[in-house]
Amino acid sequence: MRRRLMTVVAGLVLLAVWFAGSAPAAGQDGPVRGGTLVVAIVSDPGHLNPAITTSGATHAASELLYNGLLGRDERGDPVPELAESWQVEQGGAVYRFRLRDGVKWHDGAPFTASDVRFTFEEVLLKFHARTRASMGGLLSGIEAPDDRTVIFRFKQPYAPLLYQLDATEAPIIARHVYQGTDPQTNPANVNPIGTGPFKFGSYTKGTEIRLVRNPAYFKPGLPYADGLVMRIIPDLSVQVLALENGEVDFLWELPGPLQGRIKGDSRFQTARTGYHPGGSNCIMTMSFNLERPILKELRVRQAVAQALDRQTFLAQILFGDGKVAAAPISSEIPWAHAAGLNMPKPDRAEAEKLLDGAGWKKEGDGPRTARGVSGVADGTRLSIDFLHFPTFTKYGELIRQQLGTVGIGVVLKPLEPAVFAPTVFKDRNFDSNVISYCNGPDPEIGVRRMYHSSQIGPAPFTNAAAYRNPRVDALFDEASRSVERDRRSRLYRQIQEIAVQDLPYFWLVETVSTRAWAARCSGFKAWTGLFAEGAFCRR
Amino acid sequence: MPSRYLLRRLAHVLPTVAGLLVLNFCIIHLAPGDPAIALGGEHGDEAYYTFLRARFGLDRPLPEQLLTYITNVLRGDLGTSFVHGRSVVAVITERLPATLLLVSSALALSSVAGIGLGALAARHGRRAADVSINAVALLGYAVPSFWLGQMVLLALAVGTGLFPVQGMTDARNPQTGFGYLLDVFHHLALPVLVLAANELALTTRLVRTGLIEALGTDYVRTARAKGLPEGLVIRHALRNVMLPVITVIGSRAGMFLSGAVLVEVVFAWPGLGRLLLSSLLARDYPILLGMFLLISLGVILANLITDLAYAWLDPRIRYQ
Repeated sequence: MRRRLMTVVAGLVLLAVWFAGSAPAAGQDGPVRGGTLVVAIVSDPGHLNPAITTSGATHAASELLYNGLLGRDERGDPVPELAESWQVEQGGAVYRFRLRDGVKWHDGAPFTASDVRFTFEEVLLKFHARTRASMGGLLSGIEAPDDRTVIFRFKQPYAPLLYQLDATEAPIIARHVYQGTDPQTNPANVNPIGTGPFKFGSYTKGTEIRLVRNPAYFKPGLPYADGLVMRIIPDLSVQVLALENGEVDFLWELPGPLQGRIKGDSRFQTARTGYHPGGSNCIMTMSFNLERPILKELRVRQAVAQALDRQTFLAQILFGDGKVAAAPISSEIPWAHAAGLNMPKPDRAEAEKLLDGAGWKKEGDGPRTARGVSGVADGTRLSIDFLHFPTFTKYGELIRQQLGTVGIGVVLKPLEPAVFAPTVFKDRNFDSNVISYCNGPDPEIGVRRMYHSSQIGPAPFTNAAAYRNPRVDALFDEASRSVERDRRSRLYRQIQEIAVQDLPYFWLVETVSTRAWAARCSGFKAWTGLFAEGAFCRR
Repeated sequence: MPSRYLLRRLAHVLPTVAGLLVLNFCIIHLAPGDPAIALGGEHGDEAYYTFLRARFGLDRPLPEQLLTYITNVLRGDLGTSFVHGRSVVAVITERLPATLLLVSSALALSSVAGIGLGALAARHGRRAADVSINAVALLGYAVPSFWLGQMVLLALAVGTGLFPVQGMTDARNPQTGFGYLLDVFHHLALPVLVLAANELALTTRLVRTGLIEALGTDYVRTARAKGLPEGLVIRHALRNVMLPVITVIGSRAGMFLSGAVLVEVVFAWPGLGRLLLSSLLARDYPILLGMFLLISLGVILANLITDLAYAWLDPRIRYQ
């Protein structure tokens, strides 16, 4: 009996010790309040008003100060933010939003529906390039019948609206601060007032932006950190050194060559995402100028596609951080991405056969020679120029090397972005190029502009190929009017099947961003501009 | 004091600056690239870019833009930055102190240490000290600053934890008063070392060569024969070596600014160099023109100071 009692007591003591040991551990797993987070950003944003620009620098630095009507979850789907609920009416031509009650601007003024209406009508539709280009011509009006209701009316059903309302695509700014002023020069652009989790603290040009906790944030308990510093460090490798040296806690972009070092170190954590404030879900895409006689010929484009081994692009340029593009629409938009398409596979013999068939004959070493090619003088060498940003030089080098093996000469022409855009889209002075086409959260935003015939120049990063296909135009128009996702999926699938047959472009690799942070920190959300809303660090 | 000389030199400065204003304007505006696209990003429609061009006056004929620019400069208005939306003078003035601190510290280090090391090497001609200093100087002269910057970061910052990797101050624990000064100097050490390395090497080699030659001259031999202490001999000889050294230091003041661009990027130093680079990529014409003007004036001023230093060093030189 005594022995049994002892056993029970010992068991209870052990249980108590176990609880005593586990209780603090559970406490350590919970969020920690206080402290200052340090985040590295690449460039000085110049100002902190994300509603007047699509600049990634401004959005990365300022979105924590603001909110959109909606947010986005890990899959990119809309979630309530300033709007607590919404209804889609008249087949997608009318959207009615119910706003959250009790939201305050950082200066204490109440947030109302008139702020939303003002932001769209006076700022976003004038100055935010993506919002202006995508919905500007289709929106017939925005109504604010009371303080908590906003109604968007479109001329026809407009499908992607719910994906265009986060702080990246449509940050809401304060009417009482901006009304009657020029939004581009308003002093509040460098002393901003938003509704976001952090309030503006100070902005030292070229050095850092300091934010402080918004104690009146409408999401209870958030944010955890007392402050956040956006430290401007232009060189990505120096950002990594600063992370290793404990000077910063979070990096927006971990460069490929350094990923092995950081991922293999238990002091750090990483996460991949297709989201970036400057443009999400991007595919490195080779464009063919269909107005040039050489590339007008489908067999030449097919030969290019089959001469390229995209796996080497993924391995040698992205160090495996991304994926070979399996369709014209990014796999990060799963419902629109057409899986299982018959994309061209690397086959050098088949590429050579296609070029022979197209009249490009191998006569000795070097590029092939035209013999009976339509629109090209006999004896012309098969040589194309290839325009690229200086940062994409490695793509050019691989393309020149791989196309050279089948007798296609490639002349590389690196041009910085401000020169590249008018050369390609306005002057159309190129044979081929590589562009990081970002699909955005919805194909209507970033994919339509690549294929629709109405999008051929001069606006930059539109239909570089000058691709014209009435069937594709009609499918895009139908998809933009449909709000039912299954129907849109079917339409986008058809578009992608046609695009893979016509090959106005060749889709090389999907790029992703890798975020990195100190392992003593938690709660970072890599997929949204409000990435540090629930973040905290243990010191 | 050569006040008439000074006035005449200043009178030459005015047409030089006027010429530079026109030249800088033409070079920037004739270079390919569209600020509207750099500003508007990649998703705008043509109407948006047209709107931006009109807003910044870029749709006006080039001679009209030039005339407006010159008129504004004469009124002391260098324009408004396309990117920052604020006056060029304000944007540049914010960054100027950081660059001045970096460049002047590097100039002081390279000059003082360069002269000292050069003299030391010359005094110990072809012995261990001379060979070591010469070898290090050669290395310092040959190594590009961006590479040296990365190596210094790895070895002295991440490797030892003694120095910070980036910035001018500690982001997490901002200091005030004397603590702030200490923090800035702590952050300044590595960028100054890297920026000064090249010029330090050049000055060392220049002083060493000149001094070895001067120490072989008759007046030095006479001075030594009379029993003058070696330190005093070196001082006398050094004064004669300084003319070419001052010329080189003065003429390379502009090089420091261009070197500062790389060093500021590597060490995230918040100065004009980084502003110049980002403005170039964004085609922020007003900032670029303001920066070019400032750099031109800096070079002109450095040359003027060099000329005046000649007379101080060599009493035989007289200004006409």
